[in-house]
Amino acid sequence: MVAHEGRADVFKLVVKAPEIARRAVAGQFVQVRCAPAGSSSVDPLLRRPFSICEIRPSDGVLSMIYRVVGRGTRALSTLGPGAALDLMGPLGHSFPDPAAGQGPLVLVGGGLGIPPMVAAAEWAVAAGRTTLGMVGARTASYLAGADELMATGVPVTIVTDDGSVGARALVTTPLGHRLEAGLVGEVWACGPEPMLAAVKAACATYGVPCFVSVERHMACGFGACIGCTVPKAGQAGFYKACQDGPVFPAEEVELGG
Amino acid sequence: MADLSVEICGIRFRNPVWTASGCYGYGREFAPLYPLSDLGAICVKGTSVEPWLGNKGTRVVETPGGMLNAIGLQNPGVEHFLNVDWPWLREQGATVIVNIVGRTVDEYVEVARRLEGSGVAAVELNISCPNVKEGGLAFGTSVSGAAGVTAAVRKATSLPLMVKLSPNVTNIVEMARAVEDAGADAVTVINTLLGMAIDIRRRKPVLGNMFGGLSGPAVKPVALRMVWQVAGAVKIPVVGIGGIMTGEDAVEFLMAGARAVQVGTACFVDPWAPIKIVDGIRAFMEEQGVGRVDGLVGAARPAVGAEGNLPPIGTSTGKAEGLSYAPGQAGEAGQAGRVPPAAQAVKPKPTVTNETGEALRQFLKDSDRA
Repeated sequence: MVAHEGRADVFKLVVKAPEIARRAVAGQFVQVRCAPAGSSSVDPLLRRPFSICEIRPSDGVLSMIYRVVGRGTRALSTLGPGAALDLMGPLGHSFPDPAAGQGPLVLVGGGLGIPPMVAAAEWAVAAGRTTLGMVGARTASYLAGADELMATGVPVTIVTDDGSVGARALVTTPLGHRLEAGLVGEVWACGPEPMLAAVKAACATYGVPCFVSVERHMACGFGACIGCTVPKAGQAGFYKACQDGPVFPAEEVELGG
Repeated sequence: MADLSVEICGIRFRNPVWTASGCYGYGREFAPLYPLSDLGAICVKGTSVEPWLGNKGTRVVETPGGMLNAIGLQNPGVEHFLNVDWPWLREQGATVIVNIVGRTVDEYVEVARRLEGSGVAAVELNISCPNVKEGGLAFGTSVSGAAGVTAAVRKATSLPLMVKLSPNVTNIVEMARAVEDAGADAVTVINTLLGMAIDIRRRKPVLGNMFGGLSGPAVKPVALRMVWQVAGAVKIPVVGIGGIMTGEDAVEFLMAGARAVQVGTACFVDPWAPIKIVDGIRAFMEEQGVGRVDGLVGAARPAVGAEGNLPPIGTSTGKAEGLSYAPGQAGEAGQAGRVPPAAQAVKPKPTVTNETGEALRQFLKDSDRA
């Protein structure tokens, strides 16, 4: 662990993990044990899945941003920057190759769906894709990752539910305007499922390709437990978020909300 | 060199550490990490006649020292198993026990019938899954239900028949005796304990199915107690399961009277857990000067005759003729005795046929310490 800092209940974890940093692609996640590496503690028991925020292969470093929501993340938040952590990853499917898409790419992040958009923006910029970010959160303190996103150089529109930063709006409002104006070639989205459902619907209206990254409770994170299911759209059955996702073409999954 | 091999239902297993049904899929996610033949056996995901889709909504949630699951026995069905998974598992040299689920007695019987002659090592009746409305637990919580389905499958198969018992009963000993009398060759003790968790902010149960099965270290003392009780009450072998995370945990179950153990939830936290548990048992045996793992079975129990009727350690209850195993006749290497084809594990070439598996292998090989 290189750095670990938090504001209120949102923490940024920076770790030295050269192998993961070398292989990771935007949209993938890591499974983190919420105890010091080598600990025989069995509580918290399971690893926690975190999306990857920044990937720095040359430094062997990656970062994750998480919110303290339960016992696992609370235990993790108490570990100091010197602690050794046990990570498994990178896991799951990434966003699609930005070089393969057409037209301007819009990255939509809601709350803790913002951090993975940082790695996505860096990838898209490196690929020479015209990219912009649209992020929203309940309030200013839940915009973690927005600074990092702006640092990638892509233009970023910020909105909040309470108007504490940017316009008082849902992120789907500025997205809707751009879609209507025909300025969107493709959308990648990560955030609460009602937001993903709204983004999917808006993109479908304008026939714009949309990829969503979903969040689920996970036990293993690598396909064995079948715990993190996402209903298939238009047919019976489920995908596994960990193995088939977490990034899906929006039309292939049924989103709650 | 410690001999970890064990003989159960007339089959010699490489070691007493098996992976638990529902916690290891069909092995594909783990095969890139180590040879599946290094495991004593794989109890594959609960398998039904037709594919089952499983439950909607949140399926897993962590609880103190454990987890709840409400998967709902999602599986691709026995035909898929026989056509796709079993040929692949066989190539890996894995010893496979098929966990069977059904909504009716006829469905259990049908799955067992289709597995007849396939070469799998044994079948394990799942009459204790808390996550399906019909079948499952319904058979596992009444003596007549458990005995009925066991007897029906017994008639339908010549394969060794194990029955996985539910802890969600008043008297598990009574259940164990009932399935023994109905023809079971072994019992697995225990399945998950019925539990729940509530999301207080949403004011509703966390799991889509409302209730789920509790597993992990939190259940270990309960499981161990039940293994102890059942091992003292039946003559057939007991396979212990419940919260085993380490070799020491496994040794506790062996000492309580289990002939083998199953590892479940630990596989989710650490995919290498079963292999580490084998190593842990071996290290304990070497430390304690125990040459054969059978020497640990029931070691914590009072001497035979002083309590209960724990069968003498090492005696066979295998029914298949010619497969019986006589303790003391095995050579030093412990490989004497006749080995049925399913257990003749040929060291496989580690083949990678699964994209995610390959990815996982790469990722995990040097899983970073950050």
